Amino acid sequence: MTSEARPEAAVRNERLRLRLRSIRTFGQRFAARPDGVIGVVVLIFFSILAIAPSFFVGDLQTVTSASGLPLDPPSLGHLLGTDELGRDILNLTVHGTRISMVIGLLATVITIVLGALVGILAGYVGGRTDTLLMRVTDFFLVLPTFVLALILAPIILDLVGSGSEVFGIRVTLIVIVVVIGITSWASTARIIRSQTLSVKERAFVGRARVIGSGGGHIMWRHILPNVMNLIVANTVLVFGGAILTETTLSFIGLGDPFAPSWGEILNAAESAGAMGLGAWWYVVPPSVCIVLVVLAFTLVGSALDDVLNPRLRVRR
Amino acid sequence: MGSRYLVRKTLGAIFTIFLIVILNFVLFRMMPGSPDRILLRNPNLSAEAMAAVRARWGLDKPLLPDQLVDYLEATAAGDLGFSFKFHGESVTDVLADRIWPTLILFGLGEILAVIFGLALGAYSGWKRGGAVDYIGNGLSLILYSMPYFVIGILLLGIFAVGLHWFPTSGMLTIGGNNDTFASQLLDFASHLFLPLMTVAIGLIGQYSILMRSSVIETLGEDYVTTARGKGLSSGKILRSHALPNALLPAVTLIAINLGYVIGGAITVEVVFNWPGLGTLTVQALEARDYPVLQGIFLLLSVSVVLANFAADLIYGRLDPRVRA
Repeated sequence: MTSEARPEAAVRNERLRLRLRSIRTFGQRFAARPDGVIGVVVLIFFSILAIAPSFFVGDLQTVTSASGLPLDPPSLGHLLGTDELGRDILNLTVHGTRISMVIGLLATVITIVLGALVGILAGYVGGRTDTLLMRVTDFFLVLPTFVLALILAPIILDLVGSGSEVFGIRVTLIVIVVVIGITSWASTARIIRSQTLSVKERAFVGRARVIGSGGGHIMWRHILPNVMNLIVANTVLVFGGAILTETTLSFIGLGDPFAPSWGEILNAAESAGAMGLGAWWYVVPPSVCIVLVVLAFTLVGSALDDVLNPRLRVRR
Repeated sequence: MGSRYLVRKTLGAIFTIFLIVILNFVLFRMMPGSPDRILLRNPNLSAEAMAAVRARWGLDKPLLPDQLVDYLEATAAGDLGFSFKFHGESVTDVLADRIWPTLILFGLGEILAVIFGLALGAYSGWKRGGAVDYIGNGLSLILYSMPYFVIGILLLGIFAVGLHWFPTSGMLTIGGNNDTFASQLLDFASHLFLPLMTVAIGLIGQYSILMRSSVIETLGEDYVTTARGKGLSSGKILRSHALPNALLPAVTLIAINLGYVIGGAITVEVVFNWPGLGTLTVQALEARDYPVLQGIFLLLSVSVVLANFAADLIYGRLDPRVRA
């Protein structure tokens, strides 16, 4: 028994050693990119805010629990001033972090899953499936997807009713998540497909097929792990884009006033005419947060892309 | 060879536009209640007009194929239905009223951004690691992370509300001194300036990042090394070897980005209350004016498809390889 177990244990140890080594080299390479590290720090900061906003600024203030006078400039009591209803802007902005980040995260999950699925299927199966899927993808690439989201969101909202809740999450938010997801997967699908095409030609895929592995198994166990690098880097970039899209949709008036994201706060500021009244404190905090977070995602994304997909660097 | 490329691209564009029209039809039928109820909800439509519309769209006939065919015919004839919000005016008229301000704003904004963005990007890529590259690339990244309306709000706050240099909203001063053409033009220009800057600044970041990486990529090519080996000056290499090739991907990417640009740019109009398609979109959204929303979707998507088609043709002219 021991004589059989030993080589197996050795294989396992070797695997573990290799994995640890690759994680370490990844860490070292990433640490060599100061922009990426700064991005990570910013994202950790905002993630902490998003996880426990009430811990830092108390519960989300509403019209009834507003703590100050309308449009009060920054003071010791309200570090970032108040909005037209007397709500503390710091309170709103910190709670907005959670809503913006959660919508961004969920929309990213839908985008990446859809994009990876379409990309791997099209690339691996090929033939007519590929042609058809890529037609659809190209259609979505050409289409001004934001404008499509603009008309899809109200239609779906009218269909399901905007007041209701599903699993305790407000339907408006779910609709925004779904709309962002189904309008932004196309470029991910394109990228994944081209990588799948090259992975498919590698020897180990042929070997797997020879020993009788099915298509699903090959895609799941052999193709997916080998396009994971691209998926990870792309996820980070898509996340930033999703937050931007959410912000813009909310600013246009498709957000949920009862769950104010940063875009929703800016929408409220716009309707209250905050800028015309000189209430810069209403507008600047959410704007700065949006820029910081999206910038951080862009920096981390491009650093990851460089580290994980080193082939891109060869020609430079 | 060249004509085959042209035919393929033309057929592709026509097919895409056809798909967009079909999508518009499906969305229209997906709407809560039948299109019939939507029409009834419009209080500004007379009974005769209702009957005429019902006949035009064949709402008493089956969905497929009759209604689809009728819909396609009406759309092809430029009949996009009637607006709820604008007193039963036809959607085509509503759109026609609003298209010019948008065209002026974004046409000029695109031109400014293409010129300055590409120039900045090319220079930063050429002098990689220099001061201009460092500052320019940093600024571009920040601008790239800013939604257009945030740029607009900041410019509005500083230059219109704070310094009173420019008017805060609209396209012309209402009841202003507009006796002569010159004063009218001046008034228009002062209203246009800030939104125009917003659009241009928002785009410059994107275009410069794009052009920079394209130039850096091209400067690594073998023919650039050859040119350097021949002893050509660095400026000469950039002008006659690197730039023409670096512009190729830039043309495509600008066209592909157009869809996103239009979406983000809608919000700029909202910030400055510019009476174009962007503010119309928001008004239509608030009133749930579906016919107008669909008209906007159709108009914008078809424009983007046509712009992509134009980019393909330009690309084909610039790069003979793709025509094969």
